[in-house]
Amino acid sequence: MTATISKVDAAAQLDVAGRLRANRRRRATRSVTVTAGLAVLVFALFVLTMMVGSFRIGALEVVSSVLHLSDNAGVDFVVRELRLPTALAALAVGLALGASGTIFQQLLRNPLASPDFVGITSGAGLAAVVGIVVLQAGGLVISGLALGGAIASALVMYVLAWRDGISGYRFILIGIGVAAFLDGLTGFVLTRAQLFEARQAMHWLTGSVGQASDTELRLLIGGLIVLLPLAVLLQRPLRALELGDDSARTLGTRTELSRAALLGTALVLVALAVSVAGPIVFVALVAGPIANRLLGAATGGIVPAALVGAALLLAADLVAVHVLPTPLPTGVVTGAVGAPYLLWLLATTNRQGAGG
Amino acid sequence: MSRLRTADLTLGYDDRPVIANLDVTIPDGRVTAIVGANACGKSTLLRGLARLLTPRGGAVYLDGKSLAELRTLDVAKVLGLLPQTPVAPDGITVADLVSRGRYPHQGWFRRWTDSDHDAVTRALAATGTADLIDRPIRSLSGGQRQRVWVAMALAQDTDLLLLDEPTTYLDINHQVELLRLLRTLNEESGKTIVVVLHDLNLACRFSDHLIAMLAGRIVAEGDPAEVVTAALVEDVFGLSCLVVPDPVAGTPMVVPA
Repeated sequence: MTATISKVDAAAQLDVAGRLRANRRRRATRSVTVTAGLAVLVFALFVLTMMVGSFRIGALEVVSSVLHLSDNAGVDFVVRELRLPTALAALAVGLALGASGTIFQQLLRNPLASPDFVGITSGAGLAAVVGIVVLQAGGLVISGLALGGAIASALVMYVLAWRDGISGYRFILIGIGVAAFLDGLTGFVLTRAQLFEARQAMHWLTGSVGQASDTELRLLIGGLIVLLPLAVLLQRPLRALELGDDSARTLGTRTELSRAALLGTALVLVALAVSVAGPIVFVALVAGPIANRLLGAATGGIVPAALVGAALLLAADLVAVHVLPTPLPTGVVTGAVGAPYLLWLLATTNRQGAGG
Repeated sequence: MSRLRTADLTLGYDDRPVIANLDVTIPDGRVTAIVGANACGKSTLLRGLARLLTPRGGAVYLDGKSLAELRTLDVAKVLGLLPQTPVAPDGITVADLVSRGRYPHQGWFRRWTDSDHDAVTRALAATGTADLIDRPIRSLSGGQRQRVWVAMALAQDTDLLLLDEPTTYLDINHQVELLRLLRTLNEESGKTIVVVLHDLNLACRFSDHLIAMLAGRIVAEGDPAEVVTAALVEDVFGLSCLVVPDPVAGTPMVVPA
């Protein structure tokens, strides 16, 4: 193209304006449609989770029971006491993992940079296993330890990866190293454990939305109510940070402050999710990329990614509990589906030359 | 009174000062080229002017106020920068990228407005990138991509625009095309442009004001026709050469001896 750019006449400018308007309208429509579609899908899966089981209940009955509109003691017990907590846990954990994963990936500009890959969940896992095996604790104590472990390992990685700022590759490589180290320690602790505790610890380490207690769940939902809107607000500086620190600063972002706020939000989201459900792998890794596939590349919406995370986890839980011959922890299903995706990602990322 | 100047400016990385006690004034409404050998501090100076480096000593003044005391967002409305190797998220389209140049003009809650729309339209039209808006950046040629980045910087709608070696990865045709674009922008909108360039001949041809740097100091500055001599090129680049008038524009042209 050798076009010499000289004075641009008014007609051409009008044409450009029209095309730009059409482009923006198209993108906005797609964004609204996809987000609404995902919300409907999540709602449907949420209700479906409470319908199926040894005692089948109709969709309307489920909804009216949850909303306290009906008065059928049997149905109310099954729905509200037995199934609602699990469904809520799957929903909340999925939302948190999806939002957290996409923030990490965009901030570090790498699809591999999801919290379950870089050792944050390994930190939670080690702390929880130490709690189960050494302290023989249970319930809330384990959740608290997992929360602390996730945050501590993230801080260690941040300090180790810091060199005049945080670069994506450095953080990921250090994260993988930290993950290997922590997993090794977890393995060591497990070998010292009695059979009963070892079994309990292994179950925790696989991750399951069925294990959440009421208090844990309330904590996670409270966290989501505060942190999801915050994440949506922080989407603005995130869009600038994606362009690199130099561009972000010249565009007027306070880079360090924004990055710290985003990392903090994503970290607490994933730590809460892991402390409630254990390390459910791959949901955080795939939610963002799936949302981008649906919305268009590099759109990076946090809400759509959170919805994808919730849909994935609700579906995985349905499969784990009702489709397979024996009920399994949710993490087994997400792992079985997620691992091939990870291999595909590793195989294709560098071929596109977009690994950085 | 010039809008952008430095006083006694010292810049560096870690413990190593790259530029010490530098005074420079960027003429308003002109195209200024900064030239010099590798590692002479020209990019460092540009990064300092754009507030990407915090001064070790002295200050950069924008409209008479020290950059360090201004809010990042306020600086971003007046002064834009195209970094040497800008990065874009994988798969981002031209329309999305150029629109992100509007960042400093949008608030936390204020969304897309007519003035955003107009600024992006002007930027796309001026850079001839309107046909590309639906394309991913990755699929563009080097010359197209660089024009898209300039479009993003233009969408920011700043009076001053700094560019760090914008022609580095381009062939000669696209280098000239890009510099003509900058020249046109300067002539049509009166934008002050500061550009770090490697090619001395192109710098002479397309700039009004030339700053030649050597080892963190300014060795010459002014109208290229008066500043660029064989002795200066020998000093700055260590190259013995002849300086003859460019047969087309009459600006100085360096021919290695």
